[in-house]
Amino acid sequence: MKKIPIIIFLFTLLSLIAIISSCRSTSTIVEAKTGAQLWGENCLRCHNTPSPESFSDAEWDVAVMHMRVRANLTEPEAVKIADFLKTAN
Amino acid sequence: MKNQYLILFMTLMLAFMNKNANAQEVQSTDEIQKLKQEIELLKNESDTYRPGKSKFLLRGYAHSGLQITDEEFSFVGGSFNPLFIYKQSDRLLFESEWALEQSGGEIELEIEYANMSYLLSKNLTFRAGKILVPFGIFVPNLHPAWINKIPTAPLGAGHDGIIPSNDIGLELRGGSYLGNIKVNYSIYVVNGSQLNDGEEEPEEAGILHHAIFPDNNKGKTFGSRFGFFPFSDSSLEFGLSGMYGKVGAKDTDKEDVTALHYAFDISYIKTLSSISSVLDIKAQYSAVNVDDANYPSHENPEELITFDNNSTTWFAQVSLRPALVENSFVRRLEFAGRYSTLKTPEGAEWETDQSQVDLGINYWIDWRTVFKVSYQISNSNIEEAGGHGGAEGNAFLIHWAIGF
Ligand code: HEC
Repeated sequence: MKKIPIIIFLFTLLSLIAIISSCRSTSTIVEAKTGAQLWGENCLRCHNTPSPESFSDAEWDVAVMHMRVRANLTEPEAVKIADFLKTAN
Repeated sequence: MKNQYLILFMTLMLAFMNKNANAQEVQSTDEIQKLKQEIELLKNESDTYRPGKSKFLLRGYAHSGLQITDEEFSFVGGSFNPLFIYKQSDRLLFESEWALEQSGGEIELEIEYANMSYLLSKNLTFRAGKILVPFGIFVPNLHPAWINKIPTAPLGAGHDGIIPSNDIGLELRGGSYLGNIKVNYSIYVVNGSQLNDGEEEPEEAGILHHAIFPDNNKGKTFGSRFGFFPFSDSSLEFGLSGMYGKVGAKDTDKEDVTALHYAFDISYIKTLSSISSVLDIKAQYSAVNVDDANYPSHENPEELITFDNNSTTWFAQVSLRPALVENSFVRRLEFAGRYSTLKTPEGAEWETDQSQVDLGINYWIDWRTVFKVSYQISNSNIEEAGGHGGAEGNAFLIHWAIGF
């Protein structure tokens, strides 16, 4: 019997995620932000801000993808941050 | 006649200059040719090093330290955690972190996580494998030694803590925007925790063990975390996590025992230009409610006991780093303080009611290398309280950690 609340709970969550994720991956505010700004705001939330010189372009590709998943960044955010890191390294 | 000599002389001069110019031309075409060849060579060489679509990073972290208490003065830790990250394509990523530690002459190897992520869309990722459970913020985001601002984990979150650490399963996660409010979400199904029925270890009856495989029942544990950022600069995040599932072993009287874990977390990070510093606040409240069940008593295994199997733990951490001051020594300093508590069920053999204050000063050599000096003040209302990772009692700790 305990299965029913779980199913309802899961269904609600899944629909919520479906609605939210079909929504927007960016906002007008993010669109106006530069890669440097997004890096400054996001990359210090868990650890110190990583310095762009730490890695090569190819390494940043991997590290940013890793952080995109870990920190739940959207694609436009990850792309802008990666572009910034690759020009500033 | 004079003019004729002059003309002859000038013609000769011109012819000579022309020859010289020709020689220069020949020389410069030679040089261009040489340059072309060099460019070709460089091109070929750089082609050899040009990464393909599939890329790989070997990173991780290491840490060790010194622990001074009333009873001991010893070097501790010495752990090395390699992290393998494979970016197979623009959509497929694999990550795995191991923990290597020496304990009593033997090397302990633990796989902290090993999972693959597939980016389904701009804001949704599917993950499968062994994951750090997205429950609160400490385990998934803050536990690596080069990130954690205090040498030890907060009470309740260490290796014997009540907070789930890693588990095997499937997950959907991502981030998006509701208007200008950024949100992130994760929903997952994992094996779940396992209840100790006390048959073999009556002193641990009713405890939940995390990260044990294979599962002890067919029921899976479902969970989710939802986080949102009220401000557009992502400085403040509120998170809500929940996890629910069967924890009792199949074909026993505890088969239907379930556990509900839930947590609230808060994270605030702000550069305060007035004091040239970065302020970082993190806090998490977590609770576990396990259905009541009967367990064999420790003193007399024939006798059954029961108790309200509810535990809670929370921590709040504040740190301040004068990162914007001129002086390069002061800029590398960080002052950190943390309060944490753990309360386990009254009447259980593992009952405890502890709190701990940690005060520390960190020195950052770079963004991922740190020396931490801290003092830990422990309070326990129950004498026989068990250890929950780290030093017991008051302790002075000096640790270093490096992230790669
Ligand atoms: C949600 C928390 C969080 C945020 C936000 C975050 N990181 Fe990380 N980062 C981590 C954790 C946790 C690790 C350690 C991974 C491990 O050892 O499991 C890490 C590790 C790293 C590493 C080491 C190599 C690696 O990939 O593990 C780099 C580089 C890095 N982060 C860069 C960034 C950048 C750039 C950003 C900004 C886009 C960022 N991080 C934002 C949590 C975060």
